[in-house]
Amino acid sequence: MRRLADLPEEIPARIRALRASPPLRRRLLALGVRPGVEVRVVRRAPLGDPMEIAVGDTLIAIRHAEAAGVELED
Amino acid sequence: MGCPDCEGGAATATQVEGARIVTVGNPNTGKTTLINALAGSDLKVGNWPGTTVERLEAALRLPQGEVRLVDLPGAYGLAPTTPEEALTAQELLRNPPDLVVNVVDAGNLERNLHLTLELAELGLPMVVALNLMDEAAAKGYTLDPAALERELGVPVVPLVASRGEGTEALLQALAHAAVPRLQVRYPDALERAAHELARRLDHPASRWLALALLAGEEVPLELDEEALALARGLRAELERAGIDPFLEIENARYTRAHELAQGTLVGAQPRLTLTDRVDRWVLHPLLGGPIFLLGMLLAFRFTFLFSTPWVDFIGTLQEVLAGWIQHLPLPPLALSFLADGLVGGVGTVISFAPVLFFLYLALAFLETSGFLARAAFIADRMMLLAGLPGRAFIPLILGFGCNVPAVYATRILTSRIDRLRVALAVPFMSCSARLVVFTLFAAVFFPKQAALVVFALYVLGMAVGILSAWVLGRLAGQPPSTGLMELPPYRLPTLRVVIKQAWARTRSFLEGAGGPILLAVLFVWLLLNLPPGDLEHSLYARAAGWLAPLFAPLGIVDWRLLGALIPGFVAKEVVVGTLAVSYLGAEPTAALGFLQGLGQILATLWASLLTTLGAVPALVGFPQLAPPSPDAPTALQAALGAALGPAAALAYMVYVLLYTPCVATVAAIKNEFGRAWALVAVVYELIVAWALAWGVYRLALAWLGG
Repeated sequence: MRRLADLPEEIPARIRALRASPPLRRRLLALGVRPGVEVRVVRRAPLGDPMEIAVGDTLIAIRHAEAAGVELED
Repeated sequence: MGCPDCEGGAATATQVEGARIVTVGNPNTGKTTLINALAGSDLKVGNWPGTTVERLEAALRLPQGEVRLVDLPGAYGLAPTTPEEALTAQELLRNPPDLVVNVVDAGNLERNLHLTLELAELGLPMVVALNLMDEAAAKGYTLDPAALERELGVPVVPLVASRGEGTEALLQALAHAAVPRLQVRYPDALERAAHELARRLDHPASRWLALALLAGEEVPLELDEEALALARGLRAELERAGIDPFLEIENARYTRAHELAQGTLVGAQPRLTLTDRVDRWVLHPLLGGPIFLLGMLLAFRFTFLFSTPWVDFIGTLQEVLAGWIQHLPLPPLALSFLADGLVGGVGTVISFAPVLFFLYLALAFLETSGFLARAAFIADRMMLLAGLPGRAFIPLILGFGCNVPAVYATRILTSRIDRLRVALAVPFMSCSARLVVFTLFAAVFFPKQAALVVFALYVLGMAVGILSAWVLGRLAGQPPSTGLMELPPYRLPTLRVVIKQAWARTRSFLEGAGGPILLAVLFVWLLLNLPPGDLEHSLYARAAGWLAPLFAPLGIVDWRLLGALIPGFVAKEVVVGTLAVSYLGAEPTAALGFLQGLGQILATLWASLLTTLGAVPALVGFPQLAPPSPDAPTALQAALGAALGPAAALAYMVYVLLYTPCVATVAAIKNEFGRAWALVAVVYELIVAWALAWGVYRLALAWLGG
C-alpha cells in the first residue's frame, strides 16, 4: 500500500483514503485533500520535513507523520 | 450585471438600504483588499468583541441608501476547525446578515466553490465576487462567470479588487442578490434524513443545520433536546445502513463543486506562476534556510532603522517638556513628580508606538505577502522539537525585537494551548531593551569576550523559551500539533490596508497597556522620591534591602544593583539609567527657555525625518553585526567593576535576561489571555530566572573563581 509520505517528488498519484484522527481528517478535507483527487509532492522542506503538496490549485504544507495517513491508489 | 436567471430563485427582491452585508470566503481570497477597495477611507479596523480576531467594518453610501459591510474571518468551511472559522459560522447562524457577499478565488475555483455550496444552504441572499481574475489569467485560466451565474442562480461579478476593477459592478449587483437556486443533491437516504430533520428545525438555515447535525458536528445554536435526539437517531440509522454522513456530505459537495468549476473554466493552459518561480528560490533545499534568515533580518532592520529616530524624537520632547516644567512655581518634589513621573511615564508609553507600528507593518507585510507561511514551512522541523507548529517560530523570533508584538503574534497559532505556551516562552527571548544592560556589563567584566557573552545570553534565552514551551506542552497533555496549512500564492499587499492594520494594532496596545505602564512609572517614582532627600534612605533603597537575602545565593548583595531590578519591570533598559543614578547621583533637570526648547524639538524633528529617509538605503546595506566598540571605561563602569565579581555579574545578566516580563508585555499577556495568566507569567519567569541565575553563578564560580 502506498502512502503520500513516501511519494517521490513530481509524480502525481490519486488519493484512496484518509486514515487520520477526526480533527486532522476535517482539516485535510477543508483544504481539498480527499479521496479521489490527484495529489503531487512539490518539494520537501530543507530539513526534510514537512513537505509541500499540490491538490488542485492549492499548495499545502503537511508533515511526514500526517502524510503517512493519506493512502494512495496503486 | 442584470442576472436575468436570478428572478426565479429569489423569493423577494433584496432591500439594499440599511442592509447588513457580510463578506465570506476562504482565507487568502483578497477579502481584506476587497473591503478596502469598496470602503476607502471609511474602513474601520478593530477586534471581534471578546476575541482577538481582527474585525473590518465599513459604512458604504450607495445610491439606494447606506449599508453596513462587515468582513467575516476567512473560513474553508462552516464546520469550524479554527477559532476564526467558528466566529464566521457563529455570525452567520446566530445573527444572520441581510446579504452575503461570497468572495471566491478565481484561480482556485473548486475549493472555493465548496464553501459557496455550503453557504447556499443557509437560505440567505447572496452575491458571488469572483476575485483575483488577474491571477487566474496569469495561471492560464479562462473563465466564464456567466455560466457560474446560470448554475448558481445568483449574480457573479468578476473582480480584481487590488486594482479596484469590478467594484462598481459588485455594488450594483447587490440589488439583485438572490437565495441560490442551486442546492447540492445528496444520496437518497441522506437527503430523506436531512429533509425530516430540517422540517423539525425552525431556522432559515435549517437545511445546513440538519446536514451538520447528521454529520455529527457541533452547531453554534441552542437547539431543543427533541431535535437533537431526532438528529442522533437519524444519524445512527444512517450509520447502520453503512453510510458515513460526514464523508458522504463532503463528497457530494466536492463533486458538485468540481462540476461547477469545470463548467466555469472554459480554458486552461497551465503556466508557471510567480509563486512557482519564487518558491524555487525561497524554498530551495540549500538556499531556503539562508534566504529565510535574511528575510527575518531585513524585517528587523526595517523596524529599528525606521523607529529609532522617532523614539529619539519622543525622548527630546520629553526632555524639553521636563525643562519647561522647571519654570513652574512649585516645590522641587512636585516639579520632579511632573517632570520625571508624569512626563516620563507618558513618554515611556508613547515611545512604544514607533517600534510597534513599524514592527506590525513588517509583520503585516510578511503575512499578506505569503512569506510568513514559507517561513513557517522552513522552521517547522525545528519547532516540532518543542511540539509546536512551524508558525510558532514567528512570535518567538519577533520576541528578539520586542516582546509585546510577539505576544500578540501568537494569534497566528490555531490552538489556545499553543498560543499560551508560546506567549509564556516569548519573554525569555532577549528583546532589544535588554541588550543595553548586557553591553554595559559585558564591557566591564568580559571586555575581550563581550560579543561572545552577549551572544551566549541570546542563545540561552532561546533555549529556555523552547524548553519551557516543550515542558508546558507535556504538562498540558497536549496532542501533537499540526503542521498542516495552506501555502498561499505570493501577493503584493495593499499598502493602505497594511498601514491601517498596523496602526489599529498599535492603538489598541496604547489603549490597553498605556494605563498599566504609566502606573508602573509613577510607582517607581514614588519609591525613588519618598521620603524626599537622599536616595540611600528612600523606600527604593529599603525595598532593595528586603530583596538582599533572596539574592545572596546569586552573589549579588549591593542594594543599588538589586534596586535597579525594580524599575526594570517598567522597561528593562531603565536598569542602566537607575544604576547610573544610584551610583553617581542624579543629574538635576536644567530649566529650559521656551524658544530654546522649541528649537530643540524642531531640530530633532528635522533630524528624525532625515534619518528615516536615510534608512531606506541603509536597509539594503550590510547589517552591522558587531556590537558597538566599547568606549573608555565610564564612571558607571568603574563603579560596577568595584561592586561585584565576574561570576555574580554573569548571574545578574542571566537574571535580567529571564526575570519578569516588562509591564507592557504583562499587559499584552493580560489582554490576550486574562489577568490570571499574566500573573502566572510574572511568577513563573521570576522563578525560572532565579533558578538559572543561581545555576550559572555556581558554574561560573567553579570556573572563573570569585
